Parts: sequence; C-alpha cells; structure tokens
Amino acid sequence: MPRYDVIVIGARCSGASTGMLLARQGYRVLVVDRSTFPSDVISTHFLWPHGTSYLNRWGLLDQALAVTPAHTEVTFVNDGIPLTGSVPDELLRAYFRDWHGDDTGVVRSYASIRRHVLDQMLVEAASKAGAEIRTNFTVRELITEGEQVVGVRGRTSDGRLVEERARIVVGADGRNSFVARSLGLPKFDERPRCTFAYWSYYSGFDLGPAQLHRRGRLACAVAPTNHDQNMVLVWGPSEWSREFRRDVPGNFQRALDFVSPELGEVVRTQGVRAERIYGTLDQSAFLRPLAGPGWVLVGDAESAKDQCTAIGMTHAFRGAELVADALGRWLSGDVSLNEAMTTYESRRRSQNAAAYYDYVCTLAEMRPYRHDELQLFVALRGNQQEIDRFVATHADIAPVSEFFQASNLLLLNDAAKESSAGYPVFDDFPTTARMYQQNLFA
Amino acid sequence: MSLPELDQRDDDELIETILAAADRRDLAAMAVAAAEVSEMTRNWATHIPWDEFDSLDEIALDEVIADLTQMWEPVNLQVDADEEYALDKNAYDFYRPVGRNLMTRTEEFHGWVEARRRTETWQYSRTLEAAPNSVAQITNDIGRRTRGINFNSQDYLSFNTHPAIREAATKAMRDYGPHSAGSPMVLGNTRISDELEASLGELVRAEQVTLFPTGWAAGFGAMAGLVRQEDHVLIDRLAHSCLQQGARATTRNVVRYEHLNVDEVRRHLVDIRRRDSRNGILVVTDGLFSVDADWPDLVTLQRVCREHDATLLVDVAHDLGSMGPGGTGVLGMQDVLGDIDIVMGAFSKTFCSNGGFVASASPALKQYLKMFGGSHMFSNALSPVQTAVVLEASKIIRSAEGDLLRSRLHTAVTALRDELIGHGLTCMGEPSPIVPLLIGNEKLARIANRLLFDRGVLAFMVEFPVTPTGSSRFRLQVQANHEPDEARAAARIIADAITDARTYLSSAFGSTQR
Repeated sequence: MPRYDVIVIGARCSGASTGMLLARQGYRVLVVDRSTFPSDVISTHFLWPHGTSYLNRWGLLDQALAVTPAHTEVTFVNDGIPLTGSVPDELLRAYFRDWHGDDTGVVRSYASIRRHVLDQMLVEAASKAGAEIRTNFTVRELITEGEQVVGVRGRTSDGRLVEERARIVVGADGRNSFVARSLGLPKFDERPRCTFAYWSYYSGFDLGPAQLHRRGRLACAVAPTNHDQNMVLVWGPSEWSREFRRDVPGNFQRALDFVSPELGEVVRTQGVRAERIYGTLDQSAFLRPLAGPGWVLVGDAESAKDQCTAIGMTHAFRGAELVADALGRWLSGDVSLNEAMTTYESRRRSQNAAAYYDYVCTLAEMRPYRHDELQLFVALRGNQQEIDRFVATHADIAPVSEFFQASNLLLLNDAAKESSAGYPVFDDFPTTARMYQQNLFA
Repeated sequence: MSLPELDQRDDDELIETILAAADRRDLAAMAVAAAEVSEMTRNWATHIPWDEFDSLDEIALDEVIADLTQMWEPVNLQVDADEEYALDKNAYDFYRPVGRNLMTRTEEFHGWVEARRRTETWQYSRTLEAAPNSVAQITNDIGRRTRGINFNSQDYLSFNTHPAIREAATKAMRDYGPHSAGSPMVLGNTRISDELEASLGELVRAEQVTLFPTGWAAGFGAMAGLVRQEDHVLIDRLAHSCLQQGARATTRNVVRYEHLNVDEVRRHLVDIRRRDSRNGILVVTDGLFSVDADWPDLVTLQRVCREHDATLLVDVAHDLGSMGPGGTGVLGMQDVLGDIDIVMGAFSKTFCSNGGFVASASPALKQYLKMFGGSHMFSNALSPVQTAVVLEASKIIRSAEGDLLRSRLHTAVTALRDELIGHGLTCMGEPSPIVPLLIGNEKLARIANRLLFDRGVLAFMVEFPVTPTGSSRFRLQVQANHEPDEARAAARIIADAITDARTYLSSAFGSTQR
C-alpha cells in the first residue's frame, strides 16, 4: 500500500487547489513544488467571476479580497468603440450547474491577484486541509512499474534524494510540465500564432475597474491589483516581438500611446513603476492527453492557451475541481479510475471547450478587427443585455456558440440603436486597415 | 518578500546574453546571466536548469539552447496560407462588408469562398448527375465527380423513385402542360389545388389551408401577414431561417428563447403581458428541428400560449409525412392534431416537390394571409405538376403503404444511428429522418467532409449560419430506400473519415466521447 493516495506535482493554481480539495475529502495527499512560497511566476493573474467564484466555493475569497481590489464591471474599447458590462448572475449559475452540477458560491466580481499572494494562500489552504506540502522539492524522475506511474523520485530542500509512492500522480506543473515531458506526451491542436505580452506594476493612479483596449494588432490593459498598484499590460502579434524587444521600456510606452493615448498619458505622467518589465513570447496553445496509467494532468499542463482572454488561472481552478471530484469518486470506490477519467476528459474536451479554445487561438493571432466586427461592437452598444452576454462569452462563462449564432447576430444588427457615424475608425477604413498591418516597432 | 529592483536587466536581454554565451560554449557567462533572470521566469520555465549552467555537458547544453530558443524566438509561423484561411474563417466573418459600393464590397467574401473551393472544403453548390436515390452521383463545384451512398437528399420516403408519384407528375403534365398562369389569387390555381388543400387539411386536421410556392414563402409570408411592428414574436433560437428572418422583417420586438424551453416562454409571456395588453404575440417553433433532431413539448406550449392570449405557430416541414401515426408528424405523436393555432409546412422534404402551406381552423385567417402575406398573392402559384406530386404524396402518406415506408425509414435510421454511436460518435436528438452527427470544430468537419467526398458517402456538412459556430455537424438525411446494411457501411466510412481528419489536423477535439 503506497504511503499517499495522491502525489501532486506543482503547488500553484491547479496543483495546490487539487491537493486542497482532495485533502478535504480525507485523502492522503502530498504536494511538491520547486519553489518556496511566497513566489511569483510569469502570469497576468486575472480571475474572471467564475475564478473568484471557485475561491468562494472553497472558502478562500474573503481572505483574497481583504488584500485585493475587486470589481464587477469591465470596459472593452475596440478601435475607440467602448463597451462596458459585467457577467450576469444567471449565466454564472448556469455555468456552475453545467460544469459541476451545483451553483453554490457564485459571485459576480473579478480580481487581479498577484501570484505571490494567491499561490501562497492556496498552499496554506492545502496544508490546513491536511495535505503535506514540500516546497523547494525538485522532482527528478517519475517511478514507473511497467506502464504504470507509481511515484516520484526527487531532491528535498536539504539536498537528499527521496522516493515517494502514491496510487496516482497529478501533473499540475504548467505548460512546461515535467510530467508531460517525462512521459513523452504529444501535443495536439498546436496553434503557433500567439501574442507577445509585456507588463509591469505601477502606483500613482487609480482608474477603477479593469479596462482593455485594442487598436489594430496591438492591445493594452490595466487592472488594479495588490499593494495599491495596477498591472499595466501590452500585447501584440508574436511576429512583431523581435522588434519590440530592441527597446522594451520605450516600446512599452509607445504601444500604450498608440492603443490608448489616454491610458498612455496617465501611465507616463502619473505612473510610478515599481518593478522591472516582464515579458513572454512562449504562449502558443496546445492540448495534451489528459490521463493515463497512474497519472493525470490538470491546468496548463493539459491545455495551455494565450493570455489574451486572461483565462488561465480560472481554467486551472475549474480543472482542479473537476479532477478532484473525479479522483475522489474513484478513491472512494464509487467508480473505476477509467470511468472517472472518462468523465473528466469528456468535460474538458466538450464541444463548448473546443469552441472556446478556437476563440482564444483566433483572437491571439491579433489580426486587426474587420469592418464587420467593429460594426458588431457598435451594434451592441445600447443593448446592455447583449453586451453582458458578450463579456460572459469572452470570459468563457457563456458558450461561444450561443452568442455567435446566426439568428442572434442578425437580430443584433437589425436592432442596433447606434450608428457607426460617430466613430473615426470608420471614416477611411481601408487606409486605417492598411496602416494597422505595419509593424509599429520596426 | 523583497520586490525586484527596477535597474535589473529585462529577462529578454538576459536570455539573449545566455544564448550568445551558449554559442561560445562559455558556461560561466551563462551562469552569471542566469543568476539575474527574474523569479517569475525561472518559476515558469522550470524545464530550464537555471542554476546548473556551469556544469552542463555537451548534450545537455544543446537541449538548453533548443529550449531557450523555442521560448524566446517567435514560433514557426509557416503554414499553408490558403488552407489556413479556408479553415479559419466562418461565414459570419463576412456579414458586415466594408465600403459604400455594394458591388465591390462582396469581394472579400468571394476571396474566402475561392480559397475554400481551391482546398475542396466548400460543401455547397454540388450538382446531381442523375435521379437521386439511396445512392447518387454528384459533381462538386470544381468539377470532380463521385458516387456514393446518399444522405444528402431530403427525400425521406423515397418518393422520387415512386411509380405513382412519377405517374401523377406525367398525368398533370399531359392535362395542364407546364402551366405558369400567375398568382393563385388571379388564375394560377387548378382544380387539383383545391383537392390538395383539402387533403392537407385532413392530414393536419386544420381545414383552412393556404398554399405557397415555396416553404420559405409560407413561413415568411405567415409572419409578414400576421405580425405588425407593435406586436411581439417569441421564437425558438433554432427555429428555421424563414421564420427568423420573417420575425426580424416584421417587428423589433423579437425575443429568441432558449431552444425548447417552455418555462422561458412562459416567463416572457408574463413579462410582455404585464407591459402590453393591447398587441399580439406570436410564439414560433419547429415541429422537428432540422439540425438538432429534437422537438418541443407542444401540449404545454399551446396551453401556455392560450393562457396569455398568444398565438402558436409550428413549422412541421421536416416531420409531417415521415413520422408519427399516419404520417401526422410530431403533432400526431403528441396527440395535438387539430389543437395547434397555426401549422405551416414545406413540400420539399417528404412530399418530393416545391411549395409550402399554412393551415388553421380559421377561414378569416386564411383569407387574410392570402391577401396580406405577400408571398401568396404576389408569387406565381405552384405549377400543376408540383401540385399533383404533392397531392399524390399526401395520399400515399395517409395510406397503409405510407406506414410501411415509414417503418422501413425507421429501420434504416436505427441502423445508422446505432452504428455511428458504436463507433463512439455523437448522434444528436431523437430517431427521425434527420440524423445530426455532431463534429463541433469547423476545421475538423471541413476536412472530414473533404475526405468523405471520395470515399463513397454523400453527406451534407452544416456550419454557420445553419448551426452556431463551433457546433458544426453532418446532417444525414435518411430515406425509406436505404437498406440497413447500406446505412451501417456508410457509418463505418464516416467514422474512418473523422478519425483521419483528426490525425490530419492533430486535433484532440471531435465528436468522440473521450
């Protein structure tokens, strides 16, 4: 009999949450991570309302919001066309009923929580739930018996090599997953086109709720986060990254000024940068197989996507709840492991999940909005219900297919209350569209 | 925790430095630069041995260079541009074209269609080379021909090859000629038009029947005739396009309710009646939904409508004739014959011809629609040949032979569904002449469809605007002439094509329940 029921590799959003949920069910759980917490990691750390709802379901939201600002409204400005909305309660409830069979703990607010705050909180919660946490622990090898993964070999904080065994090993170790690499797991549905993203932290201004701006092939966002700071983020097509990198601070400001002159002005004149500028290009999307003999993947390890819809942490929480539920039903003897994993997999690979994956990957190509897409944003104005549903769709709370349905789009167009006359982007659109193709940083 | 210092070098610059040092095999310089890399990046790229650069051997060094390069250089963007463009877009991407010249602004859409034609992923505008039966020969729109088991025709009871139907058409041709004599309100009708109205009235048990030249004209005309701009329309999200466009053309007060959700209809009716006690409300649904193969609870829906003085319209285009006792469709299955306010249908499915109808118990409504529906008064009438075909079809549908044909149809439907499900595929809805095989991802569906063309199965792939985006499917339309073995063979071919399409796209998504 192995010493643990479950070993979880990785103690961040998906790993610590999975460990916590399984420990709460009374299973013997070991969670290991290379890092020592508190600890940061490349992340734009945004939690959509379903993300904060998961924290609330797990009893952790109050603690998070005690140190993190939260809001319900978010503003999108696409080529000067603003849309402000928030996710409707009934869509959030429908989401939780659909994915998890119950809608307890639903809240409508979102929050951008720094990872050194959130990850530590999750690790502490997992520990409090009874999971054994070993930080500064480097997994060197998966132990296998035949095809079956049965445990891990790793180096502890004091340099000793140890072996631990469990009935199942959970790979919650991110897009560069050691577990996936060791098992030689293939990637499916790879989407090489993605965004480069650069961000940092600024004090000196308070713009209220989060705002996302998009113009041509570039975008920027500002979201209030911990320590009375704002995360300011710019992103664009990865093809332009080489030129962007030649002068990161200069191009960061140039991108802000291009996409939103107002935001650029605030950051330049009032902003006090508190840290270096962080960046990443390595965001191409992929899927990996979810489970096999003695192992299961969760979080970015099983499906990573571009940051452009800021869904990663929220999906990590969703995956944690799904996988903890599936493993719990197997460990309690209710169902076979195969049956449990089939349920997990059918949800993570459902039609709606596939459609959202396509949606993110298409957005991540950062092609300029076409005339018709911009007209749709104009058509949405004055129709708060549909703006809210668009926000919910963007955040993967409502199915993409229901918003982008012929009868809905055509109806929206017919019922448009506003004309495109007031928006300069439409004045000489072909010239603007050509200009958008030029690399701003070249 | 101490926050990082501002004057530290950016990770970009550091990694560039590390890669340059790696080229020189200068491990010490690599280690020095690595020490400055931010905690964020180190924690994220745990596969890079940041702390061990000074002790790497040659093989490990090459791996590190490969991993770092992959992280920090733009990824490989080489793809077949034509195929990518063809597969990535959806029709809705072109709904709002740019520019004030109505003719030139159609070019962008045309460019996409051409890319899809070149890559043979355009499923529309194929041509029949001979009379369609359970097997058919077709040519695609770039001139390639194929022959296969035919699930692409909507001839549910195989009337196209039925001797009595063909004889009725021939007789009408002899008696009346091709006959294009004008609107039915003028002199377009013949004696058999009256006979057809009577026969249809008996079939749906609503004797006041109006004929229209197409099914679309019937649906659109019913809406345009009845609904005024102050009125309200509650329409199932997935109701047929002629009804959706009819609703949009007549009033801005349109609510699209969740598919089949009667509770939501009730809530909307309460809400509308609270605000508006003066104007009309038309509730619109299909009998059998042609892309999901399911149907509403008509008993409750009609009762809820009456409770709020709303009128119910049900489109029975796909189920009438091919399902239910005596071919009475979903109405007969739910025992609401003669009880639905307005029934409309089309002859292009089971009845083997063009045309459509609207039926009710009200002579007043009939006369009003003829005058104000637009598509009745101002369109040419059904031709005598079409009328005769539909009339003969309606007689067979109600006969013992109709029962036999429906039974054969059902046997083929069951064989097809069972075999597809046995291959792990997802058949939506309930057993009916339409078997929707869910694929989801448009790219997967388009590639599978391309493969199927040459493999002996004719199937119609539907995507936006027929289905919502991300839920494309094959709409397999079964006929009474399909032998069960033929259906099972087709299912195996389809399953193989989907598997191969997934391999081609390296996709983990598909209709298999994984």
